[in-house]
Amino acid sequence: MDNRIVEFIRGLRAAGVRVSLAESLDALDAIGIMGIRDKGLFRASLRATLVKERKDFQAFEELFPLYFGSGGPPLQSAYGDMSEDEQKLLEAALSGLSGRIQGLLDWLTSGEGPTKEELEQMAKQAGVDWFDSPDQARWVTRRMMQQMGFGQLEEKLAELVEKLQAMGMSDEAIQKLLGVVEANREALVEQMAQQVGLQIAQERARRPDDLHGSDLMHKPLDALSEREVDMLRDEVKRLVAQLRSRAALRRRRGHKGKFDARGTIRANQRYGGVPIELKMKKRKLKPSLVLICDVSESMRYVVEFMMTLTYQLQDQVSKARSFAFYYDLVEITSLFSRSEVDIDSAFSEVRKILPYRPYGTDLGGSLEVFYDKHLSAVNHRTTVVMVGDGRNNYNPARVDLVRDLQKRGRRLIWLTPETHAHWGTGDSDMMTYAPVCDDVVVVRNLAQLASAVDKLLAGD
Amino acid sequence: MFKDIGDVREKLGREDYIASEEISTVVYLAQSLNKPILAEGPAGVGKTELAKTWAKATGMPLIRLQCYEGLDESKALYEWEYAKQMLYTQLLRDTLRNVLGETQSLAEAAGRLAEEEDVFFSDNFLLPRPLLQAMMSDEPVVLLIDEIDRADVEFEAFLLEILSDFQVTIPELGTVKAKHQPMVLLTSNNTRELSEALKRRCLYLYVDYPRLDEELEIVRLKVPELSSDMAKQAVATVQQLRNMDLRKVPSISETLDWARALVALNADSIDEKTMRNTLTVLLKYESDVTKAQRRLGGADDGPYQYRR
Repeated sequence: MDNRIVEFIRGLRAAGVRVSLAESLDALDAIGIMGIRDKGLFRASLRATLVKERKDFQAFEELFPLYFGSGGPPLQSAYGDMSEDEQKLLEAALSGLSGRIQGLLDWLTSGEGPTKEELEQMAKQAGVDWFDSPDQARWVTRRMMQQMGFGQLEEKLAELVEKLQAMGMSDEAIQKLLGVVEANREALVEQMAQQVGLQIAQERARRPDDLHGSDLMHKPLDALSEREVDMLRDEVKRLVAQLRSRAALRRRRGHKGKFDARGTIRANQRYGGVPIELKMKKRKLKPSLVLICDVSESMRYVVEFMMTLTYQLQDQVSKARSFAFYYDLVEITSLFSRSEVDIDSAFSEVRKILPYRPYGTDLGGSLEVFYDKHLSAVNHRTTVVMVGDGRNNYNPARVDLVRDLQKRGRRLIWLTPETHAHWGTGDSDMMTYAPVCDDVVVVRNLAQLASAVDKLLAGD
Repeated sequence: MFKDIGDVREKLGREDYIASEEISTVVYLAQSLNKPILAEGPAGVGKTELAKTWAKATGMPLIRLQCYEGLDESKALYEWEYAKQMLYTQLLRDTLRNVLGETQSLAEAAGRLAEEEDVFFSDNFLLPRPLLQAMMSDEPVVLLIDEIDRADVEFEAFLLEILSDFQVTIPELGTVKAKHQPMVLLTSNNTRELSEALKRRCLYLYVDYPRLDEELEIVRLKVPELSSDMAKQAVATVQQLRNMDLRKVPSISETLDWARALVALNADSIDEKTMRNTLTVLLKYESDVTKAQRRLGGADDGPYQYRR
């Protein structure tokens, strides 16, 4: 049983549920106490020890019956209710068939279906090994049915009925037989579906090359597949929690600031004015940010993760305003700052405002727009963060504006997804921008981005 | 202490708490594995109630720590009672003079005073807060840490330390180890993600709104004065409200409040007038009330169908 549970945990992990070693041990302990006789208790014990997030319940509910189910409902025998004569008739009629349809009808009438090994073999033949998503189980099951001859079943069954009628079996007995066959057919399909589901889950668990969580954080953002981006989005949540606690701790342990005379006197009234507790004026340590993001297609994921991190960490930032530029610049703060924001839909909003235009990027022009309309967003406390590759499409670079922004704000930081080697090649103006920035950080993957955001929050 | 799962359900039931199979399993596991429970779910589904009932059913005292933003160790664990220390110093001035009278130099006096320091940092002046109380208790207790999601992240980390080995070091006194490991229940309304480490240490319990029949049973148990016919109508209405798009859907506690209000008003059916008068018990936002009134009171469906 322990083996089965360990396999199940492996399946859960492959489905994206995080299960630690300690939790696996807890699960085994819990089962040791609860026993396995009562399935409901068994399930509840496993779930309480292994799944710690509500969104993972679904994966658990899907996998549990696959690993601990009976393998589907059993088949029943059609011979049980028959008189001896009728049994002989049926056997005779069946022996006239041949090939796989005979095997299939044998299963459906005798009540002795394929064994687990046979089912496994058939699933392999149907190509189950090629798939790793539960959505594809249906397709494999259908292929298995074809291979077993389900396609001819209706036709052959009608023939069989005719034959039995000719041989003199009563209508009543035939109806009964058909009823049993139909029930068995459904049961067999269910068995196959469960077998396929299990094999797919195991296959997925066996796959070693899947990058998960922290490994993915080091994969370049422009090389990610859709699925990996989805996985990273989950990872971002964890990251946010991590960054938040670091920022909060740093703020608490940071320099406490100047002595607060008024506060101290007030706090020490209860000790008769003896200054036992000292009060300090807290220095404002939360940074105020202005983000200017390139939203051209090449920057999609960098900007997405940057925005997610920034706005999930809003409570650690005193003020954050964000602007998107492409061939024009618009403020997008309101799209992202709602508490329950769906980043994906926020991005399609942005896309609507700034629709795709080939070779459209105009960084210099966008900076001019920022200068004309939104300069008030930048004051001596503001950290200006430019997120972009500095590719300007051979438009005027307007370095003077960037230099001015750097002077007006507390500091100016540039996050670029391109490595130094690419700066200055083609239409890249990075070489001209870089010297006027306080810092240029290369963010190729989520890990680098996270450390960049952490630095921003630290304010140094 | 519970003997087995059936015992959990029965004892909790005796205290008017209807525990689902899941709840009773988790409670029993928590007791046998000595692990804290983390209960999540919407507000007002009886997470806090579970801890209270747990304590009552087993006869253990309940110690509650309510979390809020800015909660720190001195409010959760222990604090020195400065004022009392000051008062004692004042009152003991004469004795102190006797002790220090014979000393010749300032250094000697300070040394002598240091020897007596233990007096001022002893159990007498220690103000144990809920966590320390739970650890110092002579009998096992149920420790309820309510709404942990409201506390700061640092506090969560600190709590983790306590929950892992149930001992704490007070610099002036030494290490205090729990005499009995308390049964711990943490609740969270999910306003923020809790840390992985905390979740890993706990058994996880998700408490959702009850199904119609479960809620009906709860109402019957807690407000037996309400006629069963009325209870059915009331619960059906509440379940209907939960399916609507409201700012705050009514929870079990609000259903119970409403049921009590219906009893107090002596209502014999849920008609438009009763609805209008009592809807504010269920719904806490003006916009929700108008929305519900329009939906429930407008057409011929909803609670209207119950009108005689």
